[in-house]
Parts: sequence; C-alpha cells; structure tokens
Amino acid sequence: MLAGKAARGAGAPAAQAAEFGIAAGIHLANGQGTAALDAALDALPSGPIIALPLALARIAEGAQQGRAEGRLDAGHHGPLAAAYIAALPFRATLSEAGRVEMDLNTPAPRRPVARIDLAADVYARWSMLAARMLVPESDASRLSGAGAGLTDND
Amino acid sequence: MKDQFDAPPQMPLRPPEQVMRLSRMGSMFPTRLSFLRSLIRRLAAERAQVVRTRWQMCAEGFGHAVFSVDLGGHTYSLVAVSTDLPPEQRTDRVIATAWDSAYVLFDGIPDAADIARITANAPLQEAGRFGPRDLILSRANKSVRLFAHVVEALRAGRQPDRAMIRDVGYLMRTTAVYGNGKFGIADRAGYDQRPGLEGPFAAEMLTVWLIRHFTHALAEHVGRGTLDPQIKRHLGIGNSTGLGMAPFLVTHPVLLNNWMLARETALARVRAIQTLAPDQIARLSVLAARATAHLAQWQVPDPVHQTRIEGLRRDWGQACALLTPPQLAGTAPLDTVMQQLEGASADVQELMAALLLEPFGDLVDGLAECMADPFGAFAAPLADTQAVRAQIEATFDWALTADYADPAHCGQFWYVSEAKMEPRLGARFTEEGAALESPLDIARRVHALARDLPQQAEPLSAFLERHPDHALAVARVTLAARYPYAEIRDNLIAQTCLPIDMLRCKLSFFGASKFDPKSDRWTRITLCQGAPLADELGPDADDWWLPVFAA
Repeated sequence: MLAGKAARGAGAPAAQAAEFGIAAGIHLANGQGTAALDAALDALPSGPIIALPLALARIAEGAQQGRAEGRLDAGHHGPLAAAYIAALPFRATLSEAGRVEMDLNTPAPRRPVARIDLAADVYARWSMLAARMLVPESDASRLSGAGAGLTDND
Repeated sequence: MKDQFDAPPQMPLRPPEQVMRLSRMGSMFPTRLSFLRSLIRRLAAERAQVVRTRWQMCAEGFGHAVFSVDLGGHTYSLVAVSTDLPPEQRTDRVIATAWDSAYVLFDGIPDAADIARITANAPLQEAGRFGPRDLILSRANKSVRLFAHVVEALRAGRQPDRAMIRDVGYLMRTTAVYGNGKFGIADRAGYDQRPGLEGPFAAEMLTVWLIRHFTHALAEHVGRGTLDPQIKRHLGIGNSTGLGMAPFLVTHPVLLNNWMLARETALARVRAIQTLAPDQIARLSVLAARATAHLAQWQVPDPVHQTRIEGLRRDWGQACALLTPPQLAGTAPLDTVMQQLEGASADVQELMAALLLEPFGDLVDGLAECMADPFGAFAAPLADTQAVRAQIEATFDWALTADYADPAHCGQFWYVSEAKMEPRLGARFTEEGAALESPLDIARRVHALARDLPQQAEPLSAFLERHPDHALAVARVTLAARYPYAEIRDNLIAQTCLPIDMLRCKLSFFGASKFDPKSDRWTRITLCQGAPLADELGPDADDWWLPVFAA
C-alpha cells in the first residue's frame, strides 16, 4: 500500500510504516478521507503513526485471560484509531467515547474489500514521500543489481 | 491446520532449524502440493473446457485472441495480444518496455469494449490502465529459435525436431506475472474466496496455463499445421525470474510458514505409513525411474550448476536403491528411506521428499487447502520484554552469534531501485544506498533487539517507546511463537547469501522445474511442462511430476 511506503519515506520505522499502510487502507475503505492520513504523515517522527500502536499495545498488556479493555487518549480515538483497531489480528472494538475492548483469543474478522482510487494530488504527494526510500541507479547496480541478462533472443 | 481434528498419523515434522536454511530451500523440487498441481487437479475435477471465443490474428501471428474457461462457478478469460517485436527490444529483464505478447486474465467474458481496452493497454504493461475485472497482467517473449523452428517444421508438413523440443521445452517465457492490485488490476482479496482461486497464486497459475495453451495455438496458426499432442504436452512456459521475487518470502512470513508446514506435514504423514501395498511399491519404483530420466534431461549452460546436477544424478542413483521392493517391505519403510538419506546432500533429500509424496494424494492433497493466508497473522502479543527474550532464545538463537559489523556478515543490502521500482541487492561497502536499506535484515534486527532488551522485565510498550526501531524485530519474534516455519534461518545480508536459493524455494511451490540459473540472483525455469493440455483434463490428469520427454 502506497500509504505505508509514504510513511517509510517520511521517517516511520519499518513496522510502524507497514501498520500505517494497512490501517490507511481500512480507513479509506471505510469511506474516510485522506486528511487524517496526511496529518499523520506530516506529524512524523511522532504523532499517531508512532503513538497509536503503542497506545493499543498498552491496552493489550493489561489483558486478563485474553481479554483487555482501556481507553484511548482524547485525540487518538477518531476514525484513524478505528482503522488501526480493525487492523489488529485479534477481535477488538472502539466505542465513540474512545473505549477499546480486545479479545486476544479470537481472530479478527476479514477486513472489508474496497477498490481505492486516490485523488491525483494525494497520489503524487504520497509517491513523492515513498520515493525517498528509492536508491538511484549506479554503474554497479546496472551491472549486477538485478542480475538478469540483457537479451532474450535465444 | 484445517484438518487437525481428523488428521492421519504422522511422524515428527522435520524441524525449522533443518528445513528453513537457505541452502536447503535452494534444493527444493516441485511436489503434488505445488500450486500448479493443485490447480490442474481442480480443473480436471470440474472437467473444465477451454473455449476460444476470439481469434483475430494475421498470417504471421500478430493480433489478439480470447480463451475462456469456467472454474468454480465463474468464467475467466485470457486476453492475449501478440505483437511484432524487433529483436533489439527483446529482453527478459523485468525492466523491458516491449514484449512479443501481453496478457490479461479477465473476470468474465470480455465484450468488444473490454477487448479494445485490454488490447490497447496490455502491451504497455506497467504503463497501461487497468480495472477491477483485470485479475492478472503478464507478458512473454518467444523462445526465438524454437518458435521459428516449430513454425518452419509445421509449414514444411513435418513435426519439429524432438531433441530441440526436449532441450528448450517452451515456445515462450514470461518475464512477469502480476497480481494482487498491481498497476490498477484487481486486489486478490476481491476473489480469493472463490472456489478454485483460494489457493496462493491460483489466478497467476491459471493465467500461465492458459498462456501455454495460447502459445501452442499461435505456433500452429503461423505454422499452418497441427502439433503432435505429445510434443505439445512437453511444451510448457518458460519464465525468467530475478530478485523481485525474493523479498516476498521475507515480507509474507505467515504464507511462507503455511507453505512449508503443509509440505512438512505431508512428508510426516507418508513417513508414518506402516506398510506399503505392492502397487504402491511399484509406483515408487516408476517414479524413481522417472526422476532419473528427468535428471538426465536437465541440462543447463552454467558450469557450476551443471556440476551440481551431475552430482545429484550420481547420488540419486544410489538413493534409488532404497526404493526397491525388498527395501520397502519393512515397517514404516518411507521413514526408513528418509533416515537412511540423512547423510546425503540436501539435493537428494529434497528430491526424495518430493517423490515420496507423489503416490499418496489421499494423505497429501487436502493440505493444499491450508496453504493460503486469508486472515493474516494471528499471534497473541508477548507479555513483556522477558517473554521476548525467552522467545528469541527459543527460536532465534541462529541469529545471535554473528558479528554484524563484520563485512562478511553485512556485506550486502537490499533496496528498491529508483529507476525500476524493483528490489535489488547491493554491495554495502562499494555501492551507494545502504542508508535506504529495505528491512530484510531480520537476523541483524533480532540480534540488535536482544542486545537492547533490559535485564529487568518491563512492558513492551515502554521498551518500544524508547526503541521504536525494534518494533519490526519484536513483531517477527512474536510471530515465531505461532508460526515455526515463518523465518528463513539465515542472515540475508551476509556476503554468502545467495538469492537464487530463495527463488528456487518459491518457484518450487509454484510447480517449476528445470531450474536454469544464470547467476546467483536470477534463473530461468519451466512451468506447466508435461501438464495436461486443455483437452486432456481427465482422471489421470495429475500425473506429471518431473516430466520426461521421449526424444
């Protein structure tokens, strides 16, 4: 997902960027706009891309017999938090008041499937961020980086 | 696993520390659990019919065609576009911009507007526009010398030279088979619950099988003749595969676990068979002879790999002595075979493991249903840093001993190329770009995590708040508790890491054979060689493991 690559390019560590990519897909599939995602990218190296996984981990750490509950801080319980919770591998819910309930013993249901067409400007912006992780070609990489041959005429 | 409640008896699984080493993964052979085999069984069970619904091709074979097939209650159509490609543009690198042929696997039967759109866009590949009914995107180049020879022979009213058919083995080779949302095509999640397409890469394998069907039709059209069915059956589809495929095994740990676990469970089940019936013993002898003949026909230009194949031929000759009726008359005979090969090369062991699965479809084939990953990783969070340390000691001890500052242990780095947007492998100390390294250095990351873990237990959230860069390593360690075969147990940035081993592992699960390495980072292979033709999908359709051609 492009959002995850954008997060990586914007400075998120690998795991947090990947989590953001999954959550962003759910967020958009839920019909939410890109504003919260752009804000999260702008906030790196802090902000929800770093803080939300930690907040959810803190709640999970309090589990008793596989069940946990807790509350997200104000400002962390909007639609993006709902997407992060939907991305968890186990069943979890978020109330409008920011209350999270987790069942660590039950797998999460399949996520919604939706085709996402990003607006051109968003696509361009995220692509530019993602491109920060791309390595320019060099003479050495052209010779050996991919490894494949140059001709297929046999 | 899905059938855990009524699973047949099994021996202990071979442990991950044995199976998940790169050198062994680089010795794997296709099995009856390979994705092409599963697909063909499904097509045969449904008595699927391939129908040519459109053929607009000039006498020289340029134009387009549509082939449709019903599978699991849905119709899928291969839209094939054949173009006149100047030789100087024919390259099998993924970075090429023009190909002899381009393909889309379409969801349904395309109408005229769909066909017009696809024939305009498919030849553009990555630069084209695709939609949600385009499931797979692919392209292929001709094997110029064999295609020309086949056409020339057919035009002269004769069949092509059988030795040449045997030695090349395909009319075209694909240079990419894209799925799962790439370049605007459909996301896999949109069809991965359909009957017949649930398995990993099932839509890709269906595409490859249909492309092979098209290449036969194209050669017969241009040659104005009909190929002998036995020759057609041996004409598979070539494929050139490079580094782009390798990171998949690292970035999809649950899938890797499920593939390997299914294969190892299958082997453990056949090893638990107490006695063999005479027909099963006879079948094993037939398969051993077939493997011998297959190895004899496996010739590659690379001298290093050819030497390895020749060594395997010699060793295999000795291993076959374990498959004679007297040897197989005892108790748990297949377990005995594997035990007696414990000192043999990984090549021999893996070939034998693949062979032993072949006669026992009733024990093995159901495991194919466990090889997908429809729900994603499901591993409970580890309790605290002490739990992480314990899990590292239990499953990542192999990662803890190397000195990752030593160039021998960190001499390579994975990255994504700006020019081609494809994974690459660079030399850390002589090339630029290591600062933008892709996170495939799992061993080094777990080593660093272990070093930074506090002596006293603390909540993981508190630890990760101070060390956010360790989150990936924590995630991998967490997965290891539930998915024992999820991790390649080697240092993937070591100077000695050979990506070709990762490629062979993945390609063997596709069902590839005749590995023809061109370097330590790309290989040619053959898919569908020996597979049933569209009009051969009968009860015996599944018997094409390690095909042999009588030249």
